[in-house]
Amino acid sequence: MIVFTLFMVVPLAYAIYESLYTTKLIGGTTFSGFANYATVLESGAFWGGVIRVVVFGVIQIPVMLAIAFFFATVFDLGLARFGRIFRAIFFIPFAVPIVVSALMWGFLFDPAYGPFNRVMNAVGFHNFNWLSASLMVPSIIIIAIWEWTGYNCIILYTALKSVPRDVVEAAILDDTPLWKIILRIKLPLVRPAIVMLVFINTIGALQLFIEPNILNNYQAGVITTTWTPVLDIYNTAISSGEYQLGAAMAVVLAFVIVAISVTSLAFRKSGRGVR
Amino acid sequence: MSTQALALRTETRRQRKRRERLEERDAAIPVELYGLKRGTVSLLTTCCVLFALFTLIPILWMIINSTKTQANIFQSFGFWFASPFDFFHTFANLFRDVDGDGTYFRWLANTVVYSAVAGFGSTVLAALGGYGFARFEFRGARLFFAVVIAGLLVPITLVAVPLYLVYAKVHLINSIWGMILPSMVAPVGLYLMRTYVDLSIPRQLLDAARIDGASEARIFYRVALPLMVPGLMTVLLLSIATTWNNYILPLILFSSNNLYPATVGMGLWLQHAGNSGDANLFPLLVTGGLMTIIPMVALFAVLQRYWRGGLLLGGLAN
Repeated sequence: MIVFTLFMVVPLAYAIYESLYTTKLIGGTTFSGFANYATVLESGAFWGGVIRVVVFGVIQIPVMLAIAFFFATVFDLGLARFGRIFRAIFFIPFAVPIVVSALMWGFLFDPAYGPFNRVMNAVGFHNFNWLSASLMVPSIIIIAIWEWTGYNCIILYTALKSVPRDVVEAAILDDTPLWKIILRIKLPLVRPAIVMLVFINTIGALQLFIEPNILNNYQAGVITTTWTPVLDIYNTAISSGEYQLGAAMAVVLAFVIVAISVTSLAFRKSGRGVR
Repeated sequence: MSTQALALRTETRRQRKRRERLEERDAAIPVELYGLKRGTVSLLTTCCVLFALFTLIPILWMIINSTKTQANIFQSFGFWFASPFDFFHTFANLFRDVDGDGTYFRWLANTVVYSAVAGFGSTVLAALGGYGFARFEFRGARLFFAVVIAGLLVPITLVAVPLYLVYAKVHLINSIWGMILPSMVAPVGLYLMRTYVDLSIPRQLLDAARIDGASEARIFYRVALPLMVPGLMTVLLLSIATTWNNYILPLILFSSNNLYPATVGMGLWLQHAGNSGDANLFPLLVTGGLMTIIPMVALFAVLQRYWRGGLLLGGLAN
């Protein structure tokens, strides 16, 4: 019984904790009614940031998942030598704090001294700048791919491993070419895993903050205060001290995230119904 | 205890590694059966090598440049060493308050404390909560679990600003508990453990223990907990890594430099590095960055065999 009450209390305490900040949040914003929300919803800069991170996600997530799936398949089928070692290497960036990875990529991309710009200059692109306004998003995409591909790859690898062996054996006996086994048998079977990864990575992309915040120190002027929604929230609430407005932004972004989550959950359920 | 479990316990590390490798090989279908062209394996291995290079290049850069002086970090070629060898000088400076912002190792110690306490706490919460949700039906269980799921969807980055507002009212700003408590109540861990308990602890086992007259506390501690260890290790690793990496929450929360974790401290240094040229902050940033990576890589290497990446899937796929 004691244990039972303990189990009751822990989630309860958590629920109270959770409700605490939500009520305070709404309490803080009710002073002005929905005026803050109106400001946020009409703010072109805020939505500009949202669009920027959506573009970022739409490019980064498929590219990363394609690379991750490619290597997960290679490891799963044992198509490369030293698979264990490569798996360990690919996972390393997950152990690097994002601040640190943004820091070192910042050095590598540095407009004046970075080795990557030097290489580009040497090859003939003069005044090439990875951190210029036009290349900032692609550069952050490269950084994000570096950070997350290994992690996604390991998760897909685990999913692929759970595909029953006899299914694949039967296909081999039928002389099915390997690419068909991969795309027609394995890929559909790990579809729930891929949907989940798309979902997790989308939420991550919408929250893009650390990379631009750090890279801002290498290239002044490109990253504006409203470059991504979370930067906007941070700068509004903390730097300018407009807490309520920032909180309203956070709520709006949370709504966007929940909407995406619900859509993707519905999408997954319908997908299962069809199969 | 079954004989297999005993055998597992008595085999040495090397034997275990060997057995795991053999098991993995036996489980895989021999490559020859796929009917591939010759050279495919070499080609794919080359692809792996290329991606491994992409992965390692920044880290290699960091290792090389942690040995350089500030002038050399900028002027010498990034991927080769340049004399003088300055690593120990920089390393020693990490123990000093170089430009008045704070001392790096103080920050790193903060990071370790925050991560350890939050990691341990969230693991305990996940163990109790996950077990409770998975194996007990109590009033409101569904509602509470819905709250947990909702918590899963709203990430800490977004919670940070609202939290700041709450903290301002309850005086938790500049308190280490303000940092540790929210890191501890990570819903992900609870969620993962519920899934893990569902999959790995049969109800019959618990019922058998109850018939034998064991108390609920004893069942949890002696029967369920040992079976939950791999899942708990995953939760522990995930939550330590999350707290270790956390940037926005401590950035918002702490205004006193002494409380900063390493990530925020380095962010501050980077901001000042361009302005205060004499402090030579760039080598400190590179070497300091390296110092934050090493413990995490070591931790993952040690706990790797417990890592159940599949847990993340099992849950949401069901």
